[in-house]
Amino acid sequence: MSDVYGRTPFKATRRGLIGFSVAATGAMALAACSDDGDAEVDLDAQSKGAMDDFKADTQFKATEPFTLSLLWTEWPDLPVTDTWTFFDEIEKRTNVKFELTTIPFSDAVEKRSLLLSAGDAPSIIPLVYTGEEDSFVSSGAIVPMSDYVEHMPNFQKYVEEWDLGGMIDNLKQADGKYYMLPGLQEVSVPVFTLVIRKDVFESVAGGIPETWDEMREALVKIKAAYPDSYPLADGFEAASMLNYAAHAFGAQAGWGFGDGMMDDGNGGLQYTAVSEGYKQMVEYFRGLVADGLLDTDSLTAANDGSGGGSVAEKFANELVFAASGSSGTAIEFAQALNETVGEGNYEVLQIAPPGGPAGQVVEPRNFWNGFMLNAEAAESEYFLATLQFLDWLYYNPEARELIRWGVLDETYTKDADGKITLKPEFSLDAYNINPGAPTDIQADLGWSNSVFADSTEARSLKESYNTPTFVEYIDSVLSTRTPRDPNPPAPLDEMELEQASLLATPLKDTVDTNTLRFIMGERDIAEWDDYVAELEAQGLQQYVDLVNGARTRFEEENS
Amino acid sequence: MVTTRIDPERVLRGPSRGRETRGTRVFGAFNTVFLILLCALMLYPFITVLAQSFSSPGAINAGQVSFWPVGFNTDTYAAVMQNETFWRNYGNTVLYTVTGTAIAMVLTTTYAFVLSKPHLKGRKVLIGIAVFTMFFNGGLVPNYVLISSLGMKNTMWAIVLPGAISVFNLLVMKSFFESLPKELEEAAQIDGLGWYGIFGRIVLPLSKAVIATMILFYSVAFWNDWFAAFLYLDKTELFPVTLFLRNLIAGASTTASEGAAAAGTTTALVSSNIQAVTMILTVIPILCIYPFVQRFFVTGVMLGSVKG
Repeated sequence: MSDVYGRTPFKATRRGLIGFSVAATGAMALAACSDDGDAEVDLDAQSKGAMDDFKADTQFKATEPFTLSLLWTEWPDLPVTDTWTFFDEIEKRTNVKFELTTIPFSDAVEKRSLLLSAGDAPSIIPLVYTGEEDSFVSSGAIVPMSDYVEHMPNFQKYVEEWDLGGMIDNLKQADGKYYMLPGLQEVSVPVFTLVIRKDVFESVAGGIPETWDEMREALVKIKAAYPDSYPLADGFEAASMLNYAAHAFGAQAGWGFGDGMMDDGNGGLQYTAVSEGYKQMVEYFRGLVADGLLDTDSLTAANDGSGGGSVAEKFANELVFAASGSSGTAIEFAQALNETVGEGNYEVLQIAPPGGPAGQVVEPRNFWNGFMLNAEAAESEYFLATLQFLDWLYYNPEARELIRWGVLDETYTKDADGKITLKPEFSLDAYNINPGAPTDIQADLGWSNSVFADSTEARSLKESYNTPTFVEYIDSVLSTRTPRDPNPPAPLDEMELEQASLLATPLKDTVDTNTLRFIMGERDIAEWDDYVAELEAQGLQQYVDLVNGARTRFEEENS
Repeated sequence: MVTTRIDPERVLRGPSRGRETRGTRVFGAFNTVFLILLCALMLYPFITVLAQSFSSPGAINAGQVSFWPVGFNTDTYAAVMQNETFWRNYGNTVLYTVTGTAIAMVLTTTYAFVLSKPHLKGRKVLIGIAVFTMFFNGGLVPNYVLISSLGMKNTMWAIVLPGAISVFNLLVMKSFFESLPKELEEAAQIDGLGWYGIFGRIVLPLSKAVIATMILFYSVAFWNDWFAAFLYLDKTELFPVTLFLRNLIAGASTTASEGAAAAGTTTALVSSNIQAVTMILTVIPILCIYPFVQRFFVTGVMLGSVKG
């Protein structure tokens, strides 16, 4: 049947959309030729509304009111409503009014690319994860934030306090500047890890595994007790499990694969997918599949919202006892188990990712989502005030608490020890706090909204709204696991970036396909050397040299 | 000239059924079974969604729902129906569909009528212009820039105007008009009707079937379309319900990156139950139109397709 256009302009698939965002980014490179990305910024002349004595831990208030346009991602269950006090309170405190461009969460990344490509993006672009800014750098569509962080005292204070300077350096592009400011986390634990049936692991397998070898032994015992089960599962096309497992084997995989390059221990970079650690990891999971311990559907099926290959369903029906997930997944599993096993007859627990040959290590410390600024913002006469405002909004402890909990003594109280309690007439349903109270501070008032609330968090703030089991999880990771060091930076320049993406994409395709084929047993592990040779035929060495060249240059320029 | 002798009795008898051979009976049985299975295959997803919409979220997660609701609940219907955004977007969809279809019908019928006249000068060029757009278009970003420079961004016109003429529908209509007997128009001309009169009083009344079909095509397309709205609208209060639905469904299934997956699972725990309810509420109206237009639908398409 024909559609509105009488042809099929675009298949409504995620993959298709990714294609279009790539095209859009390409088009942007052309579109942006005309405007000079490095327009002269004179902060003295662009200081309208800015505070003269703005410093860390002070309340920002613009000396004259102004409006900032903001890209607002709308989650389907959290529409902005008239009852939201979030925007009013921010305006009251800072004299800054937001003007929203709303985009649906489902295709937010694609729409963001389109808006930036067409030169139509609002000033503030939140919810940017590190690396997502790369494609907008060369066209000059976004502001090099590193040029202006000196005007952002709160940011600098947290970076120093939480010892994040080295990680910030890793954000640098080839020109030595960084273009996004991330959400800073005092403590960083893997968001996705294993969610297990604690009661079954304790009764059948003799405890919670601390390493992947122990995990294997536990899975064997569970399989013996539940012969129909495939006790371990992923649900995110293997990307999640390989992500947190790889570190224990001294490799990078899945979501954490990145550009494939990782620390070689000598200050250079090596391609992780041909490393010994990567092979060990593949062999380990291959062994699990061969023994029927790993649910293979959950490695291949697309995620339909409750885990690919119906993981939640299998978890509920005792066919899976450990699966990848976040704290949200744990809640989902618990809900499903209530229907089958019954409340009180099970215990679900998020555990620290098991250790392995590389030690009890987990992913490097991480940033969380931050923001970038549309280049047009740097032309505004309120530019300095904008920087100060964003510094306050993203990095001021009081602002962070405000965004999470609302107005002190109005929606929540704080005792002498700093313990935060939500007032009984308010609830925060998303975290199951005061359920049943008449007003939800998130849905009804706009606090704890996902656009700003999760970004920068002190440990105490993070613990203030999470469940005791999640706090326990944070403790267990921090006390028993070491985060790996971040990879040494090797920012590529524009030409290199293009070359690298031409080389890296087919390499990664080969890696992804063959990793799964090896794990699923579709390809003989004896062919590992052939697989390495295939990568080499695709220009692996050239790619590694390219990145290491950039690494050496960076080292020379920044030492 | 070849004359064919027609046997009236045979015509009255209808197509020869002859003796039913074993072959035809087997074929008939096979056909029936096959079509029933096919029908079941088509209906199954719909019935599952319907069942899910009346089930408890826990039962859906546990995979207990297939044909019948488990843990019957109508609370979700009540909750979704109280959602202001949903109804506002629903209203938008109705508005866009009605306006879009009306505009599209006016433009398509008039354009097709003109193109169906062989004596029209430059007819080939006009057809060429239309057909050209079937194969080539400016691309996404240029289209976006065009629409926003025309000032249509964040207005209904961005949704209804770019898709106002579907070339496929245009060509179907054109062939239909071409198949109307020329004598009727000539007679009307002799009786003093101008071109507008001929079009309005003779051609349109004779084209009810094809018009009904086109209305159906256009309205279904406008109803289902979310992409144009996704591109050109930045305000939730302007979104059509399909965009609301897409956000609800596609937002929950993300494996692209850890950040996206985290955002998908920790903040938007939209249950399959809510998704199912919204889907049902969204498809009902368009589903109701089908039975009424169906008879035009079949004849209309057939009329347009065979020319001769």
